[in-house]
Amino acid sequence: MKPLQASRRKTPAVGLLAPASLLYAGAFCVPVLLLLPASLQLYVPNQGIRPHAYSLENYYRLLSDAYYLEIFGRTLLLGLVVTAITILLAYPIALYLARTRARYRNWLVLLVIYPMMLNLVVRTFGFIALLANHGLVNDALIGIGIIDSPLKLMYNFRGLLIGLTQIYFPFAVLVLIPAIQSVPTEMEEASRTLGGGWFTTFCRVTLPLTANGIATAAALIFLLTESALVAPRLLGGPTYKVAATLIYDQFLVLLNWPLGSAATWILLFTALPIASFFGLAARQWSAR
Amino acid sequence: MEGTVEALALRKLRKSFSSSVAVDGMDLTLSRGEFVSLLGPSGCGKSTVLRMIAGLLQPDSGEVLIEGKNVTALAVHKRNIGFVFQSYALFPHLSVFENVAFGLRRRRLAEADVQSRVTNVLETVRLHGLGDRRPSQLSGGQQQRVALARAVVTQPSLLLLDEPLSNLDALLREEMRLELKRLQHQLGITTLFVTHDQAEALAMSDRIAVVNGGRLEQIGTPEEIYAEPATQFVARFIGRSNFLTGHIEGDSGCRAVVRCAKDVRVVIEKRSAHVLTPGSVVRIAIRQERVQLTRAFVADTDNCFPVTVALRAYGGSVQHYILRLQSGAEIGAEVRAAEPALRPGDVAYAGWTARDGRILSGEGWSREG
Repeated sequence: MKPLQASRRKTPAVGLLAPASLLYAGAFCVPVLLLLPASLQLYVPNQGIRPHAYSLENYYRLLSDAYYLEIFGRTLLLGLVVTAITILLAYPIALYLARTRARYRNWLVLLVIYPMMLNLVVRTFGFIALLANHGLVNDALIGIGIIDSPLKLMYNFRGLLIGLTQIYFPFAVLVLIPAIQSVPTEMEEASRTLGGGWFTTFCRVTLPLTANGIATAAALIFLLTESALVAPRLLGGPTYKVAATLIYDQFLVLLNWPLGSAATWILLFTALPIASFFGLAARQWSAR
Repeated sequence: MEGTVEALALRKLRKSFSSSVAVDGMDLTLSRGEFVSLLGPSGCGKSTVLRMIAGLLQPDSGEVLIEGKNVTALAVHKRNIGFVFQSYALFPHLSVFENVAFGLRRRRLAEADVQSRVTNVLETVRLHGLGDRRPSQLSGGQQQRVALARAVVTQPSLLLLDEPLSNLDALLREEMRLELKRLQHQLGITTLFVTHDQAEALAMSDRIAVVNGGRLEQIGTPEEIYAEPATQFVARFIGRSNFLTGHIEGDSGCRAVVRCAKDVRVVIEKRSAHVLTPGSVVRIAIRQERVQLTRAFVADTDNCFPVTVALRAYGGSVQHYILRLQSGAEIGAEVRAAEPALRPGDVAYAGWTARDGRILSGEGWSREG
């Protein structure tokens, strides 16, 4: 709590940022920018991309056709719901893991990240075995007589929600633990000595002081969900599409690179503002 | 009726962590409005005591009574205490005003009441007009005063201070000592102050409780603690003392003669009527500033021994000497700087009166050798 002194030497920012910036520019910015001219071209079936003709045709098609709009809307909604549920599930566990002094703490952390050691495809196939019409979940529920006919847990919103929440849960816990640990326990103790019960202390002190960590975790989970490909493909099948599977199909199945490029840009420009909004909202809220 | 109730009472308070005992059966009472310091080295258990009183730690056994009410099982937020942390623990996301108002809002006071009480207390700690700032925009001393204001604005029945001055630089620390004392006096709030700094404890306290190894070594007014240390630990921890071991040569009832070496027979005025058996081994203490240094032998003093100056260090208002007795033992002396300086190798005489020596109770020195 000592005031920061300005005596620190000027940080050599350029040198520290250069390696990552170069990688980021070369491996992300350049390829994405290359998609921009491509997105303005037109693909004609059996002929390929028409040369030297540029228009906003692809964007118009994606933003006016109800079929594509539903896919983008679904992707955004899925991202928001997965983010909300993941944070709600991860925060209490992160709070426990950040504050406990138990000897088995490291083992619990390992348990949380253990699923990440399994290949994503293998894990998602595991979900198929669980969620299919004659999967473990449905058979068990029918077996004990809770339901008569199988619940539809795949090829729909529910299936993607279950799969993606499970997949991104460890990320949220790993981001939240240090965020909570950076709040000294004396903050919470001070609140209690001033007459705050545990709930007040949590709402007025712990939560606002970890808001930035929550925003970071939320932005991460949201962007990961927006760009998720493997799980939506396997759990959504060929017909229940999200933006990433749509883009994949345009590029690699239909060979319509221009439309795929335009879809990429639309996804980028809807997801990024929402993700940055999380950080902004957190700053507003904790500074209230 | 109410006036007879102790503001705070600890009864056989005990706490151990895994294998070590941090607090070992502590009894302590504070009367209303009193300022008491828990003074001891780091790790002596003094902070543990404070945290148990606040309820931040649960004692293994024993009781905590605040205003006569047993609060041992009561949750922290129901104890009506004020606590100032060493790190201040100000809420970085709230303004100074909201930091101070935090406890009042938990008590659901009317907004007008909150406004006037926060404004008043900020004025008392001389932070008037800084209510809109963030804690990070304040200096260390100002943050300290915010923490203090936040702790007292709720008019707690007990103020607990956990080394609140140790994060300040030396000059500010001495200033805040008096400030804190003034505020405590003004508010008349019962205060328990934890510190490892003897100067702080001596300057501020009505009474000092010296803690060592989870136990109370001695409790008394600053004057008593300083002038009449009961154990070697207290004598060593507060001020600078010389310690000599010897055996009783004679005890006239009010005076004892202790032979420490062939040529060192120390006459001591006794505080207790307890008669010491000749031949028994005792430990004696003499404050360094009580040692008089003269060039010539002084015949009419109780104790006067020839010494050789081993070292002199200048300390502004005083000069420190290390003196070698003829037996080879060394003693320290703190002499006013105005006295003529002696150089290493000089021969002189060190003397003190019988009142300046003190026979320490046995336990303290047998433990420390």
